[in-house]
Amino acid sequence: MNDEYNTILADFIVERLELGVFAVDAQFNIVLWNRFMHTHSGKSAQSLKGSNLFTTFPELPESWLKRKIESVFALGNYAFTSWEQRAYLFRFKHNRPITGGVEAMLQNCTFLPLKDEKGKVEFVVITLQDCTDNALIQQRLAEAITISDEERRKQQELIVKLEDAKNQLFQSEKLASIGQLAAGVAHEINNPIGFVNSNLGTLERNVTDLMKLMAVFESKEAELPEAAQQELSKIKKDIDFEYVKEDLAALINESKEGLGHVRRIVADLKDFSRVDQSGWQIADLEKCIDTTLNVVSNEIRYKATVVKEYGHPPLVECVPGQINQVLMNLVVNASQAFPERGQITLRTGEEGMYVWIEVQDDGVGIPSENLQRIFEPFFTTKPVGTGTGLGLSVCYNIVRKHEGELTVRSEVGKGSCFRILLPIFHGKMGESEELEAAHSVPQ
Amino acid sequence: MINGLNEDQSAALQELANIGMGQAGNSLALIWKEFVHLSIPRIAMVDASRLPDLILSFVGDTAVSASRQAFHGGFRGEVLVVVTARDRNGLAQLMGYEGQLDAAEREEVLLDIVNILGGACVGGIAQQVSAEIGFSAPSLIGEDLDPLDVINPEQLAIDTALSLEVCFQVENRSLTAHLVILLPNNEVGALADLLDQFLCTLEA
Repeated sequence: MNDEYNTILADFIVERLELGVFAVDAQFNIVLWNRFMHTHSGKSAQSLKGSNLFTTFPELPESWLKRKIESVFALGNYAFTSWEQRAYLFRFKHNRPITGGVEAMLQNCTFLPLKDEKGKVEFVVITLQDCTDNALIQQRLAEAITISDEERRKQQELIVKLEDAKNQLFQSEKLASIGQLAAGVAHEINNPIGFVNSNLGTLERNVTDLMKLMAVFESKEAELPEAAQQELSKIKKDIDFEYVKEDLAALINESKEGLGHVRRIVADLKDFSRVDQSGWQIADLEKCIDTTLNVVSNEIRYKATVVKEYGHPPLVECVPGQINQVLMNLVVNASQAFPERGQITLRTGEEGMYVWIEVQDDGVGIPSENLQRIFEPFFTTKPVGTGTGLGLSVCYNIVRKHEGELTVRSEVGKGSCFRILLPIFHGKMGESEELEAAHSVPQ
Repeated sequence: MINGLNEDQSAALQELANIGMGQAGNSLALIWKEFVHLSIPRIAMVDASRLPDLILSFVGDTAVSASRQAFHGGFRGEVLVVVTARDRNGLAQLMGYEGQLDAAEREEVLLDIVNILGGACVGGIAQQVSAEIGFSAPSLIGEDLDPLDVINPEQLAIDTALSLEVCFQVENRSLTAHLVILLPNNEVGALADLLDQFLCTLEA
């Protein structure tokens, strides 16, 4: 092979290769322009030779491309562009005039330094490879991956929802059985309380009558024979009759009070579990709080002082049984936040179309790393076996089902404040079967 | 001394790297028309499992973007460029980009920078030992990564690597880029041979 043949071969390759090839000198003047470039640019090598690249193609990104070519001159190394970041260097028509799918030919470019014998870069040769077909396949692949990723994400969401629903069901069932138990106990106690109450009333009347009789007896005592008087006075002394007289009234009063207390608790229990009326109702949230406080008073009595700061907001359309559950959870949780004893403040108020309730404690607070997770099912910081980690997640879901918001702010060492925000109106009254079925305490 | 290289070779490599980086700095200053400060190259033999920690030790605990490029010829390996997020706009200006960058341009800046820094530094060393080095097209590792995620040691094809790190700072711009040249341990022999040839020319 002689040099001449080599040159012919090289020229042929440069001309006929399905690859754009052109070269510029250090002043960016075009020194080579192959057939591919001619075909696609519409400008022939003859017309371009010696003309400046950027004057001839003002649409090229001059500042960036100059830097790029200069760096090849300076470093003597290859440089590259890829269609993925830069769709094309020259805006050429693509090779899909019929099938379409892209707006212009997508190109991978390589910048090659052409050096003289001393290693100095004389020209930079730039090759343009048409990547349109490959790129299309890759784009379709990328789209397919995006779709499948999206589907996987949706599946993941569904799994989480399923998990949520399972937890909710589990908790609902637990609460339902507690509710049933409470309702049953309340019902059973109600009957005996009824007749004890009625008997007590009768007893009180009878005792009053007896006392009247005794008063008359005592007034006539002096008229009795000496022996009978002595016998009576001995018995009176033995049974401490003066005290019995006073004590009888007190005993009956105390019993009535005690019984009243029992009746209130039973009423609250029934109220709380709403055995007689579940579903959407117009309810007074402050009454809900009072009922809940009565039910849990034993739990919190020795741990916290309760302060009420009621703002008397309007009545709210809600499922009171569920709101009671939320309040109970929040109040009991708050009472567990104190190392010794603390204060729980319950506030209510109105905000636009919403009513809010705040349950604030001045306890230990929640560290920020836990704060994001406290509404997650099964998240608990209590010792194993003490808490299920479901309480707050159930609260959260109940409030969410009410289209409200349950939020918390907390500072370690200063305490936490949970805020329930509930819309006043839902328009759900009378169409609440579905929600009831999922949630409420069965009768 | 560096594992796999004898004392003379280690010293020669350190010296060549210093000279190579000096040349790279000159070339870059020529392209960018800004003074480029390069740190003294840190050369070490590193276990593959230690590479993520090595990257972290170079850049510190901050989000980074990274790209890579392979080189081949007299010796083979890969270069990584790791930059912190805040340096990206400065880089883009140096590369002649104008205006606000879109996502694709931000990626392209990373590809360009590894091509230029890698070309300058590997080229600088190759020139000293008279080796011909070629480069493949660069590719992206990722953006806004944890420094520990730049290299996944479980995917590496090697047990140990020779690492040569240089830190670039461009005067007048608060811009720092880390270039890490990695040579697989089985290529260290090829480099050692080249260093021996270089040492011979010195003695001759």
